[in-house]
Amino acid sequence: MGNEKKGSLSLFRRVRTVLLGFLTLAFFIVAVAPLLLIIWTAWDKGKSALNWSFVSTLPTGFPVGSQGGILNGIVGSIILVIVASSLSVPAGIWAGMYLWEEGTTPLARLIRLLSDLLLGVPSVVWGVVGFYVFSTSTGYGLHWGFSAMAGGLTLGFIMIPIVTRVTEQALRDVPLTFIEGSFALGASRWQTLKSIAIPSAMAGIGTGILLGVLNVLGQTAPLIFTNYYNTGVPSSLVGSQGAVGDLAMQIFIYIHEPSEILHTKAMAASLVLLGIVLFIDIGIRLMTWGSRKLYARVG
Amino acid sequence: MARMSVEKFFAYYGENAALKNVTLEVPDQQVLALIGPSGCGKTTFLRSLNRMNDFVKEFSIEGLVTLDGVDIYSPDMHPVVLRRRVGMVFQKPNPFHKSIFENVAYGLRIQGIRAKSVLADNVEESLRSAALWDEVKDRLNDSAFSLSGGQQQRLCIARALAVEPEVLLLDEPASALDPISTSRIEELIQDLKTQYAIVIVTHNMQQAARISDQTAFFLLGEMVEMGETSRIFTNPSDPRTEDYITGRFG
Repeated sequence: MGNEKKGSLSLFRRVRTVLLGFLTLAFFIVAVAPLLLIIWTAWDKGKSALNWSFVSTLPTGFPVGSQGGILNGIVGSIILVIVASSLSVPAGIWAGMYLWEEGTTPLARLIRLLSDLLLGVPSVVWGVVGFYVFSTSTGYGLHWGFSAMAGGLTLGFIMIPIVTRVTEQALRDVPLTFIEGSFALGASRWQTLKSIAIPSAMAGIGTGILLGVLNVLGQTAPLIFTNYYNTGVPSSLVGSQGAVGDLAMQIFIYIHEPSEILHTKAMAASLVLLGIVLFIDIGIRLMTWGSRKLYARVG
Repeated sequence: MARMSVEKFFAYYGENAALKNVTLEVPDQQVLALIGPSGCGKTTFLRSLNRMNDFVKEFSIEGLVTLDGVDIYSPDMHPVVLRRRVGMVFQKPNPFHKSIFENVAYGLRIQGIRAKSVLADNVEESLRSAALWDEVKDRLNDSAFSLSGGQQQRLCIARALAVEPEVLLLDEPASALDPISTSRIEELIQDLKTQYAIVIVTHNMQQAARISDQTAFFLLGEMVEMGETSRIFTNPSDPRTEDYITGRFG
């Protein structure tokens, strides 16, 4: 191979560079094609149903939904995300902080193992467990019926291990030099965690919350046994008036109806769901970015 | 007068002895330089003086280290209190993701000091002591990462000074800096020794000769000898010290 001009790469390396470039492009297309296809299909089939009243009115008509919009689903999804996050964000971040602090103790190892196992529990199993714990009206449990609280908390438990592991990893990614710098000034563990580690890990923790929330938004199976669906807006978070609509569940139900108008609305509803996902994504990114700026200023 | 004293000190990483039977005294208002080849235990020793090794897994010690007569490894001295009295500056500048002002104020805030005027006074004084004030006084709210490497290191020194330590530990503070920044740091150390006991680890023997009053030579975890810097560099009593400072190894 010694006969190339000085300064140019060998033929083999040039060919390899081009090949790897094509391979990267090919995998990129394979990875994003489904997303683009989903957006395109939903837009093509659902755009005729999209208008302001679609997102601002409740479903009516026969079959239910053939007239009116999906306000029940939007409100319900938001309620479920709020309920799920109020449980999982504090619990997950706390657990993540614990795992970071006590990383190698036997208890921490056990928690990490259990947390990973929880990640692998099928969502329908979560639904059944949620039913027995929150919803059922007989035997042990909280007897909350099919309700936002029961569904939201079930989703919250699904979200905890996601937030936990991502938080722990985000804290581990904070350079040790920052942590040592803080300890060397006489900061306690808690002060170091609060003032140095958490702000530096904020972007990662935000990503963890985001992953959890997006997961919750897309879940249907856990809701089948804990909340199911409501064509109206709930007047309570528990009990017989407590069930909420849910966009994912609404799409699932509409698609199963032998009605063309509902199929169109299901597609339009998925566009709205994608819009909400995008909105939350940007929102959480701005929040984590903003809190880092704030911490930088006020210490 | 000795500020800190170390007696028959052993340090272990697991089974490995990193320091063997070290006995020395850290004199007040002087600069003590720790020299020796890589892996000789200088940094381990330095980090034992403010218990930064507590975070290292399987690290253990034997022997006695005292600060003003109090055993720093005993329950009488909480590590948090110890580290406020024995400050440390690291090899690589490690400012926090905060403004210049907040970097210096951090050590005070964690002690619960909130009054704006107190913080502002202390920050200014510390930045002046670290010879950084004139360069940053107009941009205290800028990120610490907008500073050059040498300025960042002086900021880290200012940060350490703000909590008013009694002993200052410097772990090769100039090794990542250019010659001009290095000489600024060295001048600074000369100014600071009037108020603090300073212990500096350095790989640079000229630096040790320039700035220190006492020098301790470490080799393979043992302290070979310690004495007046001028004597160590001109007339060492141990042949190993002589071999090292004349460049025969290390």
